Amino acid sequence: MTAAKPELVSVTLDLDMTWRYASGDPMDRFLNGVAKGRLEALRCPECDTRYLPPRPFCGRCNVAMDEWGPVSDTGTLIAWTVVHLSIIDGRTGEPRPSPYGMGLVQLDGADTTLNHYLDTADPDRLSIGARVKAVWRDELRGAMDDIIHFEVVP
Amino acid sequence: MADASRQRQRDVAVLGGAETEIVPEDLRSIPEMVLEAVAGALDDAAVQWEDVDAIVTASVDLFDGLTASSIAVTEVVGAVLKPETRIAADGMAAAIHAVHQIAAGAYGTVLVVAHGKASMAPHWDLTEWAMDPVYLQPLGVDFLTVAGLQANLIADSNRVGRCASLGDGACAVVLSSSVPSGAAVITGTGHDLDAHYPGDRDLSTWSGLQRAAGRAYEQAGVRDPATAFAVAEPSCMFPHEEGLFVEATAIGKNTPLSPSGGLMEGTAPIVSGLTRLLAAARAIEGNPGRRALAHGAWGPAGQGHAVAIVEAT
Repeated sequence: MTAAKPELVSVTLDLDMTWRYASGDPMDRFLNGVAKGRLEALRCPECDTRYLPPRPFCGRCNVAMDEWGPVSDTGTLIAWTVVHLSIIDGRTGEPRPSPYGMGLVQLDGADTTLNHYLDTADPDRLSIGARVKAVWRDELRGAMDDIIHFEVVP
Repeated sequence: MADASRQRQRDVAVLGGAETEIVPEDLRSIPEMVLEAVAGALDDAAVQWEDVDAIVTASVDLFDGLTASSIAVTEVVGAVLKPETRIAADGMAAAIHAVHQIAAGAYGTVLVVAHGKASMAPHWDLTEWAMDPVYLQPLGVDFLTVAGLQANLIADSNRVGRCASLGDGACAVVLSSSVPSGAAVITGTGHDLDAHYPGDRDLSTWSGLQRAAGRAYEQAGVRDPATAFAVAEPSCMFPHEEGLFVEATAIGKNTPLSPSGGLMEGTAPIVSGLTRLLAAARAIEGNPGRRALAHGAWGPAGQGHAVAIVEAT
């Protein structure tokens, strides 16, 4: 029998740093709209794809976008999963309560999908193709989580 | 027999390029800032998006506060559904990677893009985290401290009292195997990475640059560096580094250094070397036979060095 290997010295480093991200014009307009409960997509003038979330540039056509169009807060569930592992929430540094639903939602008026939370009160109702609607916070701050989650429309 | 890897490679033209104005804080997002440089470079090179076969980007996750920091720019560098390689070092190292891709015959035209936003977080504080976590980080050693060690080794009067103004910027350069008449071509490249631990190196010299330049000279057929170059464009962040540069490259006292203005008035991390390549190419374009030396550096006190020799056709 070999002797247990002694534990090696370990060095603990606590790293604390803050980075500031400039959101850019499209995200600025999008998030200011969210603060008023308004969702908007950017349309590519070449391929007509309506991007949500909006971004400045269509990577397929290599062209800048500046044509905005309204998007509903109701759409279709394209993909979904239920997460049972408590992963650290980057906003709070605390484990996120689980289980929680995560999905890709194609909102009416957009051609791309939005990655967002799903209501898991009744997970059996989650299915690809289900119609879902945003549940908004009472007080909007212009942030991605102003929408609490999407719930399946009865 | 000469080492095959050191033989003169296929010429690679610097078709064009562009850079954003270095400002203390660019209020645009990273993709918006990068798009200005990329669109300007394609325009300057007179190529279309579809003419670009591959993309090499330079960015550092630690500086951007992002893992895989190239995800911020995938669309604006035209890398969607195309081969993209990211280099986590100075933009000149990315340019050399692109030169190798072209010289190997893998791609005809490659777009090289570097971005850096020093305004996002305290830069010198961040560099502490680029140091070894067991022996150096607990002591708070950062790049500025190591630059100070180096400056005082060289001359008392060269203390780190001044550093290039760090800001936000992006640079893009189009490299190609098709060489228009009068274009600047890259005829030699060299690259070297020295030991990380400052005590393992002779900080009184940039020996890594000496090796990098030697490799580039061998490829480009430069026999007398003291008389070979119309211009040298070094990446010097501190005044004392100019002496190190001249000594390591053996370019002599008469080669004009940084006629474009150099980095002291403003540069962005990671972007510097690529802007030097562009400046060197522009300095000699249209003057057949003229050569210029461009240099990029990264890491503590010049741990990494990359050199390109450009020559006008």
